[in-house]
Amino acid sequence: MNRRNRGSSSSSSRVSNTYGNRQFSDNPRTGSGGGVNESFQRRSDAPHKRNNEKDESKHKDEDPADVSFIVGTCSSMCPERERVTRERLRDLAVFERLYGNPSKSSTEIAVKKFCRTLSAADVQASDVRPLPVLEETLRYLLSLLDSKEHPFEVVHDFIFDRTRSIRQDLSIQNLANERVIYLYEEMVKFHVISHKRLQSCSGTSISSMHHLNMEQLAKTLTSLYNIYDANRKPDYIYENEAEFRSLYVLLHLNPSNGVMGEPLSLWFRKLTFALVKSKEICFVRNLLRLYRMGNYKNFLSRTASEATYLQYCISEHHIREMRLVAVQYINNVCYKLQPYPLLRLSQNLKMKELDVESLCHECGLETCTDPDGFTVLPVKQSTFRSPEDKFKVYDLIGIERIKMSI
Amino acid sequence: MAYVSMGEAHRRITEYLNRFCDAVSYQDSSTLCRLLSFSSNSPPLLSLADALNVFQDASSLIRQSDKFSEYGEILAHLFRSLQSYRVGNLVEAYLAFEKFANAFVQEFRNWESAWALEALYVVCYEIRILAEKADKELTSNGKSPEKLKAAGSLLMKVFGVLAGKGPKRVGALYVTCQLFKTYFKLGTVNLCRSVIRSIETARIFDFEEFPRRDKVTYMYYTGRLEVFNENFPAADTKLSYALQYCNPKRERNIRMILKYLIPVKLSIGIIPKDELLQNYNLHEYTKIVQALRKGDLRLLRHALQEHEDRFLRSGVYLVLEKLELQVYQRLMKKIYIIQKLSDPARAHQLKLEVIAKALRWLEMDMDLDEVECIMTILIYKNLVKGYLAHKSKVVVLSKQDPFPKLNGKPVGS
Repeated sequence: MNRRNRGSSSSSSRVSNTYGNRQFSDNPRTGSGGGVNESFQRRSDAPHKRNNEKDESKHKDEDPADVSFIVGTCSSMCPERERVTRERLRDLAVFERLYGNPSKSSTEIAVKKFCRTLSAADVQASDVRPLPVLEETLRYLLSLLDSKEHPFEVVHDFIFDRTRSIRQDLSIQNLANERVIYLYEEMVKFHVISHKRLQSCSGTSISSMHHLNMEQLAKTLTSLYNIYDANRKPDYIYENEAEFRSLYVLLHLNPSNGVMGEPLSLWFRKLTFALVKSKEICFVRNLLRLYRMGNYKNFLSRTASEATYLQYCISEHHIREMRLVAVQYINNVCYKLQPYPLLRLSQNLKMKELDVESLCHECGLETCTDPDGFTVLPVKQSTFRSPEDKFKVYDLIGIERIKMSI
Repeated sequence: MAYVSMGEAHRRITEYLNRFCDAVSYQDSSTLCRLLSFSSNSPPLLSLADALNVFQDASSLIRQSDKFSEYGEILAHLFRSLQSYRVGNLVEAYLAFEKFANAFVQEFRNWESAWALEALYVVCYEIRILAEKADKELTSNGKSPEKLKAAGSLLMKVFGVLAGKGPKRVGALYVTCQLFKTYFKLGTVNLCRSVIRSIETARIFDFEEFPRRDKVTYMYYTGRLEVFNENFPAADTKLSYALQYCNPKRERNIRMILKYLIPVKLSIGIIPKDELLQNYNLHEYTKIVQALRKGDLRLLRHALQEHEDRFLRSGVYLVLEKLELQVYQRLMKKIYIIQKLSDPARAHQLKLEVIAKALRWLEMDMDLDEVECIMTILIYKNLVKGYLAHKSKVVVLSKQDPFPKLNGKPVGS
């Protein structure tokens, strides 16, 4: 099977020299564990070459590479051993507690945690979940997204970690077939939707959660693209491939954003002809052109009328940017004796008039009422500045047409 | 494969062995180069390959003499590679050549002076070319191509060998360029970063010491990387350097440099002469240049579409797309000039209606809101000097220099 860089976040080849490494996430925070420091320590993943193909071992001149991939046999969402240990250590997430009991779980609700690899040893097949179990696990996890019992940050945190573990199990077993495509697509969707929903959460750790989520979004997308490539049939694109590829473009609209990955010029080189011509890629290429030009009117109206839900979620930041650009430009270039009517501006920016007013104030600009009673923006104000709040989101008029689906 | 008698085969192999060992003993780099250059498909090498395939046991010949057996390992792998190469077994040929190269580099390390640098270049070149061929063979057999990647690792090793204080260090740039070619072909362009860092920051290297040919190639590739990263001033500097110092007789190379330099120059407002495009067969840019000169947005769109695939593959599409604003500027200037002819007193007032009409002639239907938006951008980015009286639906141009030239800087900087 053709596979290139998996680039998956499940860093099975990362070896830590310190035994007793307890850090599970990139960020020390009370997260998916039960808040207890002692955590379940897993044996590391089997050492395996990332880019080898099974054919290689047949090559007489090559050293027999360690090509044996584990086939998982764990039949529940969480390996029995881990569940028992975590119960004992009271290391259960809220979703894993049976009737709220911090030291009791069950096979229906315990889910395997993500674990950074420790010293290289063998992974036991009984700790790894085969594909059908992973599918079931993901289904279960995503069903928690709408849970109203807990604040979104808690839900996100749990699903964030547990889906990372799913990706780890997929990677260990070198699974990259069509069913896996579906799993990755769902996980990307989770990260995209989290990206949007985290913005309306508050708290000190939200910003780092947001950043980490973006990181995993980028990694999951890359893995997904690799699997698309690995399963490529000539001139064929998967049902959703064009849309998921389009997300990359939207993530890289602004070259200085610092999102990981290649520059767009390089990335486009690798797209197949079919993808380049697809509706979704054409759409985002257009948005790219408009964004870079600063064409706020067209960018906003096209996004409002044509973006899919996922595309919209990723674009929220840019929508805000384009609106700020519009206010900045208009304040700068218009005739001082002709203040700009907010009604007009709101139509061009696809916003409610009150929201436009709020946006102007965020930028340090005053608005006032003209003799006819309309709210206007006096121009050539020297007080324009970038708002402090990077994340404040206003409605995009016209986007209501999208049925919110997960 | 030509018929060769055993006796003749024996003679040919022995002759090669002698040549090789003498070349090393007398530090005769140019002979050594010829002996290693598989891809040249030179008659002597091909006839040697035939001989090897007939004789089959060249190793015994090598072992027989002390003179030859000194380089036994190197020669054994080399011969095996050549044999496979001759019969079209390119994956085998690559693998054996890789072993040869490793052994050769070990020897090279031990040689004090840099006499064999040219031969090392040949080895580096050959390994890359062989790897590309091997990958083609793998792909056509439904397997995953990874020999070029392996060649890249070997080249990095060679780089490491040359990155020292001695005279061998001037070879590092050549190997760097081979690495660039490898990474560009593989699409793993981000890997160029580490070797660029070594060249540009390591104290042992003095860029001026490197051979001119290598400097030109280096600037070409790093210039292209700047284009990918949309860093236009840097791209301009590097590609212009490459153009300036490139051998004028190497027309193909000049064309390659221009392919990337032209979009960069266009984006800072410098337009090439038509003769240049013609002389170097760069017709894909003809309509784009025309569109810029005439302010013809429709032509620009058309030109981008016509060569979309080519521009996307070379990575200049996004650069060219950005020229749109400059084309708008040119269009506004034309409208202004036309107005000046008919009504000089009011020429500096561009009605949004009039602009919309001009755009409609170019088959671009825009409502006044969008026209206003475009004008706002042009003014803010200093492509048009003036202000927008939105209530009167007119742009009032500055009396002085209402359409400033870019003067070598990208738009909006």
